[in-house]
Amino acid sequence: MRNVLLLIQRFFNLILFVFLEVICFMLLTHARTLQGDDVLSAANTVVGLIYEKRSALIYYISLDKMNDSLLNENVRLHKALASLTAKDTVFDLHSKLPTILASDTGSTASKAANKDTTSKHTLEYAEYEYKTAMVINNSTNNVNNYITINRGSNSGIAKGMSVITGTGLVGWVEHVSAHYATVLSIMSKQQVVSARLKDGTYGFSYWDNENPTQFVMKDMPQQIKVKPGDSVFTTSYSRLFPPDILLGTVIKSVFNKHNGYYQLYLKPSVNFRNLQYVYVVQNKMIPERKQLEDSSAKK
Amino acid sequence: MNPYIKNLFRFVIILAIQVLLLGNITLYLLPQPAGSLFIPLIYPLFILMLPFETPVWILLFLGFFMGAAVDAFYTTGGMHAAAAVLIAYLRTNVLQTLMPHKLDEYAGLQPSVKNMGWLPFLVYAAFLILIHHIFFFTLESWSFSSFPTLALKIGASLGTSMLFVVAYALLFTKQYAAR
Repeated sequence: MRNVLLLIQRFFNLILFVFLEVICFMLLTHARTLQGDDVLSAANTVVGLIYEKRSALIYYISLDKMNDSLLNENVRLHKALASLTAKDTVFDLHSKLPTILASDTGSTASKAANKDTTSKHTLEYAEYEYKTAMVINNSTNNVNNYITINRGSNSGIAKGMSVITGTGLVGWVEHVSAHYATVLSIMSKQQVVSARLKDGTYGFSYWDNENPTQFVMKDMPQQIKVKPGDSVFTTSYSRLFPPDILLGTVIKSVFNKHNGYYQLYLKPSVNFRNLQYVYVVQNKMIPERKQLEDSSAKK
Repeated sequence: MNPYIKNLFRFVIILAIQVLLLGNITLYLLPQPAGSLFIPLIYPLFILMLPFETPVWILLFLGFFMGAAVDAFYTTGGMHAAAAVLIAYLRTNVLQTLMPHKLDEYAGLQPSVKNMGWLPFLVYAAFLILIHHIFFFTLESWSFSSFPTLALKIGASLGTSMLFVVAYALLFTKQYAAR
C-alpha cells in the first residue's frame, strides 16, 4: 500500500496530466453526439451574452451595410411575391378555359405537369415556418464552422432546424440554449447536402475542405448538360432543410476519366463571412415524415 | 501587485483578446486551401507567463480551464483544452532547460522578455506554441491525409501567433532598460 502511495506521489503530475487529457478527449468525442451536452459550446448562456455584447458594438458600426442588405432582401421578396401571384392568375385562367388547353395535347400535358408542381409548391411553403435571427458570432476559419444566433428554445428553435439567408442555405442548428443557438455551417467537414441541378438531376454537394469558396458535387452522370453559371438548389429529400433553396452556381465541370463521371465545382451563393440576419426554418411535417420513413425502413 | 490577482486579470484579458478580437481576424495572403491558414492563437501565452515556481499540477489545471474557456467560445469540444494541458505539462521541463539556475531560485518572477532576455523567451514561447499548434491542428483535421496543408497551416499559424505573442509581450510588460 505504501509503495502504491509512493508511486502515485512520484508520478502525480503525469497521472494528473493523463487524467485531464482523457477528460478533454471525452469532451471532444461526446460534444458532437450527446444531446444536451453543450456545456462547452457557444450556445452557453454566458458565452452567448458576451458575444451578443460584442456584436451590438459591431452592428452599430455596420448599420449602413446591414440596412443595404435588408433592402436588397426586401426587393428580392417583393419580386418573388409578384412572380408567384402572376403564376397563380395564369393558372386560374387556364383552368377556366379548358377548351384552349384541350386543343393542343402536347402543351396540355406540360401544363398539367406545371400545374401539379405549382400546386405542390404552394403546399410545401405552408409546411415551413420561418423565424428571423441575428448572427452574433461567426467562424469561417476552422474545419467545422459554427455560427451563433440570438434565438434559442424560448423562441421555438430546436436542434436540426435549417438556417437560410436571403441568398441561400447556411446550415443547421446543432446546440440550443434558452436564448441562443449554434448553427453548424454547411462549410464544414463532412457536411453533405442533397442538391439538384435545374433539370432535376440530383447529387450531393459538400465542402471539400480545400477551397473556402468552393463546393464540390461528385459523380454527376455524363449525359447531363451543365454550363458554368447554372444554379444548384437543395432537394426535398432531406429532413433538415426545405427544397429549392439556392446552394450555389456551377463554376466548372471536370470529367473524371477513371470512373466516367463529371465532378462539378460550385461557388456558394452565401457569403459566409458577412452573415448578418438569417432565417431559421422549421418543417412542421417532419415528425410525421420521420415516423413514416423510419417505420418503412425497418421492414 | 498580488500575483494571484495579476494572473486572474491576465486570464481574462488574454481570453478576451483571443475570442473577441483574434477570433474575427481572417488573413488571406496567398491563394490558400482549407479555410484560413493564419489562425492566431494567443491564449497559450497565459500558461507561458505564469510564475516560474508554479507547481505542475496548478499549471495543468489552469491550462485546462483556459483551454476549456476557449473551447466554449469556439465550440471546439475539448481540442483547445487538450492542447493547453499538453503544453502546461511540458512547460516546466522546457523552462528548466533554458534557464541557467534552478527554477526555485526565481521566486516571485515570471517568464518574460525582461526576466529571460529576448532569445531565450522567444525560443521558449515558439517551441511550446509550436507543440501546441502541431497537437491542436492535427486534432482538428483528425488525419494526416493532407499533410502538406497541415504542415503549412501549423507553420503559418505559428508565425501569426508569435507575432501577437511578441506584440503582447511588448505592450503589456513594464518598460525596462536594455540588458
